Amino acid sequence: MIEAPGAAFSDTEIEADGFRIRYREAGRGKSLICLHGGGGLRLSRTHDILARDRRVIAFEAPGFGNSPVNHRSATMDDLAATMNVAIAALGIERYDLMGTSFGGKLALSMALDRREPVDSVVLISPAAIRINPAPDIGPHTLHRHPESPEARRDPVPPEVHAKQRALSTRLLGPARDAEFEERLTALDLPVLVLFGTEDTITPPEGARLYRQVLPDCHLMLVYDAAHAIDADRPEALTEVVADFLARHGKFLVRQDSDLVYP
Amino acid sequence: MKATLFNSVHYHGATPEGVWPVPVDNYSDDAAAESLATAIEQFRMADELGFDWITVAEHHFGPYSLTPNPTILAGALSQVVRRAKIAILGPTTPILNPVRVAEEFAMLDLMTGGRIVAGMLRGTPNEYVTYNVNPSESRGRFEEALQLIRRVWTEPQPFGWQGRYYQFRSISIWPRPLQKPHPPIYMSGSSPESGSFAARNRIGLGFAATHLERATRAAEHYRREAERAGWVPEPENIIYRLGFHVAETDDRAIEDLKAPTAIRRGTNISRANEAVEEAVANAGYYGANLDEQRNRSRNREQRTDEQIRGRIGRGQLLTGGPDTVFRQIKAIRDTLGAGVLDLTIAIQHGDATRRSIELFGTKVLPRMQAL
Repeated sequence: MIEAPGAAFSDTEIEADGFRIRYREAGRGKSLICLHGGGGLRLSRTHDILARDRRVIAFEAPGFGNSPVNHRSATMDDLAATMNVAIAALGIERYDLMGTSFGGKLALSMALDRREPVDSVVLISPAAIRINPAPDIGPHTLHRHPESPEARRDPVPPEVHAKQRALSTRLLGPARDAEFEERLTALDLPVLVLFGTEDTITPPEGARLYRQVLPDCHLMLVYDAAHAIDADRPEALTEVVADFLARHGKFLVRQDSDLVYP
Repeated sequence: MKATLFNSVHYHGATPEGVWPVPVDNYSDDAAAESLATAIEQFRMADELGFDWITVAEHHFGPYSLTPNPTILAGALSQVVRRAKIAILGPTTPILNPVRVAEEFAMLDLMTGGRIVAGMLRGTPNEYVTYNVNPSESRGRFEEALQLIRRVWTEPQPFGWQGRYYQFRSISIWPRPLQKPHPPIYMSGSSPESGSFAARNRIGLGFAATHLERATRAAEHYRREAERAGWVPEPENIIYRLGFHVAETDDRAIEDLKAPTAIRRGTNISRANEAVEEAVANAGYYGANLDEQRNRSRNREQRTDEQIRGRIGRGQLLTGGPDTVFRQIKAIRDTLGAGVLDLTIAIQHGDATRRSIELFGTKVLPRMQAL
């Protein structure tokens, strides 16, 4: 039997900034801090593959999942500061950030809050700058193939969904935030931004805005993926993410060989 | 209705039959040069006579077409054909680098002042041997390449592509297509799979190597699928390709076609190598209705009266005096609803062919364009 995604990940909590923060962890090596989307912490085959070559730590932000309602984080910057305290509490000195959708804005806010220990940022279908202010979110729009087992796995209970939705909507703020975008222009970090070509929640036409704002930004379109790229096309996603994490801007140049026979 | 003149730049000399790739045992440089010069001259005539478009296409490793890269010919024609649109129907997209295709079309669009029509085709089965591409992946490659080409034409910021068949780390083409957002796109739509894809993606449809009844069924499928996708195709979204020959009288036109030429018509490019055709068919290239798609290219001989009249009856050939040909065109429009006829000259008949283009341009084309 094939194990469910994330089966190899531990499930632990850490005290930080007055919250008990759940995180799941697997792998050894350089640390990759993962920030989930508005639907909460949900490990995919993307996390499994990335954990083969690095230490992957996927946090559950306070107020998501089974954690108590989070009234304290008034803004995304507040939540970012909390998450940075959690990373420091784990004793991690250098790391990369990978944020999905809601977690994309959280990852950028964390890098703005604490730039020094961050080597690079990966944004998957990020919701930090949005051209679609009122997306229709559900399995039918998250996944390219809503009928697939992956798309139907572990549905979120309605009360958890309502709690998460209220929190993520409040913290995400407006679709376009001039003050936030202005701060991003000074974020001198290598950033990889990925969008699925079939994404209707954060449409790929919004990708160009990140490149216009971020000083060191690479765009990548993942063909035939919807919003949940990590579940729709994990092999395609992890190949480019791993290469970018290893080589940053040098990842434009291929290293594998086309030699057919020696 | 619109008319486009399609000259496949058929090599005008003796060639082996029933073989592909075609060996060059009796190849004549002079015959090749003469074939190309004739084609360019006929395209220039068509432009001056008022044809709406002219058409070039891609085939490999045989005398059927001396334009394995039709964009090169289109580049030359951009300086000769001054008014008509230049339709490239098309590059065999799945065997090519899609970024290169997008770049070449953008260049041509600039060079023609925005007169490029972009056909994207999967080619005849044998083309998969040409650059060593597995035909079972033809449709997957085609659909991805088309999405990628559209992005390459329209995306204003450098971007990478993580596809199934194509992978690029960063793309930002110069020049850009002159037509906004990009040149009109057509694809071949004889199979239901292709018609559905075209409808979902709002792409025009072309029918070739088929007959009127079958094309009409495919067009009905396309319109139904377009309606489901929330749009209504215009007549100009459908191109129908067929042979044509016009003379002063009906009898003369048929006699012209029966005259012997250097080109024999015993086989066609799809079936010249039966082993290749069968292997490609077995690889799933044709899609769900295999037998019908596979037999599309049969019945193409036009050496006897009966064969010629059969082809006219099936809507595969316009032949006769100007009035007769105009009636044949009206019948095609009424049945199929195509807005563009892609009029094919595969076989040259010397002065008779030149006269046919002139007669069509002066006696038929103005009435057709008024339809």
